[in-house]
Amino acid sequence: MKRIFDAQLIGPFAAMVIVALIVAATTDRFLNPGNLSNLFLQVSIVALIAIGATVVIFAAGIDLSSGSMVALLTMILAQMLKFMGLPLMLALPLILIVGGMLGLCLGIITSYGRIPSFITTLAALIAFRGLALTFNNGSPIFSLDPGLEPIFYGKLAGIPLPFFYLLFFYGLAAFIMNFTKLGREIYAVGGNPAAAVLTGINVRKVQAITFAIAGFMTAVGAVLMSARLNSGSPNYGQTLELQAIAAAVVGGASLAGGRGNILATFMGAMTIVIVQNGLNLNAAPSSVQNIVLGLIILLAVGIDMWRAELSALLSSLFGRTALQKRS
Amino acid sequence: MMSETTPLWEFTNISKAYPGVLANDQVCIKLMKGSIHGLLGENGCGKSTMIKTLSGVQQPDSGQILHEGKEVNISGPLAARDMGIATVFQEFSIVPTLSVGENIFLGNMPRSRLGVIDWRKVNSESARVLGEMDVDIHPEAITGDLSVGEQQLVEIAKAIAMDASMIILDEPTAALGEDEIEQLHQLLRNMRSRGTAILYVSHRLDEVERIVDEVTILRNGRVVSAAGETEINVSEIVSAMVGGDVGEHYPKEHNTSDEVVLRATGLKTKQGVSDATFDLKRGEVLGLGGVLGSGRTEIARALFGVDPLTDGSVELGGSPVRFRNEMEAIRAGMALVPENRKTDGLFFNFRASGNITAASLAEISKLGVLDLAAEADGTERLMKDLEISAQAEAKTVNFLSGGNQQKIVIARWLFADAQVLILDEPTQGIDIGAKIAVYKLMNALTRAGKSIVLISSDHDELLAMSDRVAIVQHGAIKRVVNANDLSHDDLVRASADPIGHASQEQVAS
Repeated sequence: MKRIFDAQLIGPFAAMVIVALIVAATTDRFLNPGNLSNLFLQVSIVALIAIGATVVIFAAGIDLSSGSMVALLTMILAQMLKFMGLPLMLALPLILIVGGMLGLCLGIITSYGRIPSFITTLAALIAFRGLALTFNNGSPIFSLDPGLEPIFYGKLAGIPLPFFYLLFFYGLAAFIMNFTKLGREIYAVGGNPAAAVLTGINVRKVQAITFAIAGFMTAVGAVLMSARLNSGSPNYGQTLELQAIAAAVVGGASLAGGRGNILATFMGAMTIVIVQNGLNLNAAPSSVQNIVLGLIILLAVGIDMWRAELSALLSSLFGRTALQKRS
Repeated sequence: MMSETTPLWEFTNISKAYPGVLANDQVCIKLMKGSIHGLLGENGCGKSTMIKTLSGVQQPDSGQILHEGKEVNISGPLAARDMGIATVFQEFSIVPTLSVGENIFLGNMPRSRLGVIDWRKVNSESARVLGEMDVDIHPEAITGDLSVGEQQLVEIAKAIAMDASMIILDEPTAALGEDEIEQLHQLLRNMRSRGTAILYVSHRLDEVERIVDEVTILRNGRVVSAAGETEINVSEIVSAMVGGDVGEHYPKEHNTSDEVVLRATGLKTKQGVSDATFDLKRGEVLGLGGVLGSGRTEIARALFGVDPLTDGSVELGGSPVRFRNEMEAIRAGMALVPENRKTDGLFFNFRASGNITAASLAEISKLGVLDLAAEADGTERLMKDLEISAQAEAKTVNFLSGGNQQKIVIARWLFADAQVLILDEPTQGIDIGAKIAVYKLMNALTRAGKSIVLISSDHDELLAMSDRVAIVQHGAIKRVVNANDLSHDDLVRASADPIGHASQEQVAS
């Protein structure tokens, strides 16, 4: 357990708590139980997609495609449920497989085709949105399946189901990253690809797998998106890819690869959603929300770039006590 | 007015220490106008440190610098440039995507009155300089499209264009062919006749003999022969460079058996191996001797499956193998400890354990799940055996000394139980204590029946730690001799003679 809950969680956790305290100070509705449970529903889609975004970043790649892929996958799911009459229990695994395969394709183009992932997934970001518009003449498809909405709004023992999805997928991701050969190889490839080659790690395969994971998690997010609105639309998922990357970076994942803790990504996603929630509760217009999201992304990348200076500053303030506690 | 005998530059008692090494110890050099001064010595003797001080890249810990008799302080590369010092480093500092003219005036572009770059002047001035050099390169050519030799000449054109009164050349001929070397030498003679002071650093003693007027020779950071003390011929220079302290700190064990582990026959690759034939015995250390660029690293890459073989064959443990990539070589029991442990060896995001087990992840996992206890045990045992600092497991490995870092890279292959290790410059940049630790590690490896291919530019080390030495020239193994039968002089001469006629023919065929 020490391996999973390490010092890398301190900063993102502190950021999340500070943001929550600020929002709580501006409005008393924030700590209302209804709002808090709503928060979990809100964060779930971004946070699940951010798992994939983070794994790709660990291997020193970047995935910009997830927002458009969500739109495409909700349209494919809608098509399957509404027009092809597939049962839900068949359509759901199929859509997860389609997501994984799309991600794998992007990964193969990136690693074996030697096209930088920024370009591959930027192209996919544009193309997937277009592909989503080819279904149903570009119109949204509504009222897909009565069994769909409970996937998002259902509860178990009074707790919203998305909480369990988060628990399951973050638990699985933390296990893979910390206790498996694949996880170690992902960190190795991101940390030093040249050294990884010379230690016999199949660098290209590992890179391709990270994109397959990202595609799969995007599909999980797309299913929740469809379930939440019982529909598919080519307009879903705008800027989701950036929110997912922002969550990873606010969580401390280094864009240079090799460093970061997957659980911190959840805290990063929470931080972003709490800020958005705070703006909502204070009735800020959506224009302000976009500006704030932009600033958060800038700040997050800034934190990544100024890491050395900031950690020197932080350790001079409270780092010493944190280290003492660990030893 | 300065008199004829006042040196242009005089460096007195320059000392510079790095952690664990005194790189320059009271070095004195005088550089005269219109003179080509050779700075010589083996790898690690302190030449590069001296060049960095001369060019303002770093400050000496102590010592005095006199420019035309007046004490000065070379505070940085820009200050050096303002004082007329131009340095042509071994690694090029040209921008390959820019034109030749832009490179020549980089950072110093002539401007028109409006502050806009005066392109006509850039190109005409560049053409004038290149013409003066008698070089046929167009100022508007893209520098990256030129041959390596031409790029080197562009570097030198930069120095000439800034009207340097002193020019430092660090291994200027490493990438040049014979014709280009002659062209460069003619250029240097022209500059000398115009009164420029030239500091010439090279490993190639035969060409040093042809061009320099005086030499300063360094050994272990100290001047062992000042200008005028050594006659400028190869054997005098070699004996001054080598000195009498060969083989003191080499705890060599001989563990060679009769069993041949690896046999390479007629290896050839597109990347520069022209004909490599040798065998490697169980428990043996086979040294590859040769100058920079002679093809030693390329032979290692061919063995390891990095560069595909176009001809020849490799047998490992009696059966023929043909590796298509590094993964296959590693699975067969080979290992490559790369020359540059920082860029190609270590994972700086991992602690010692992650670095040590990186090549054995399949062996320490079941169904894809890592056995972390086995990892911790193995790491602890190796760290104890190899005396790796305990810091290595407390933090990531970037905080460690070079010696500890190198031990960790080698420990990776002990953990993986590799049978044949290729060590490329295993002691580069580590201090003497850590070097001895690496030598002992090599002994432990051969004692355990592992075989080692050792690549080293440190001739003492190569001779002392190898059982046999293969002389490499132009990608071909010329001969394999017992290390005992080879004197240091033989090795230096053999490997510092890359432009002999025999080897020329070899390349042509």
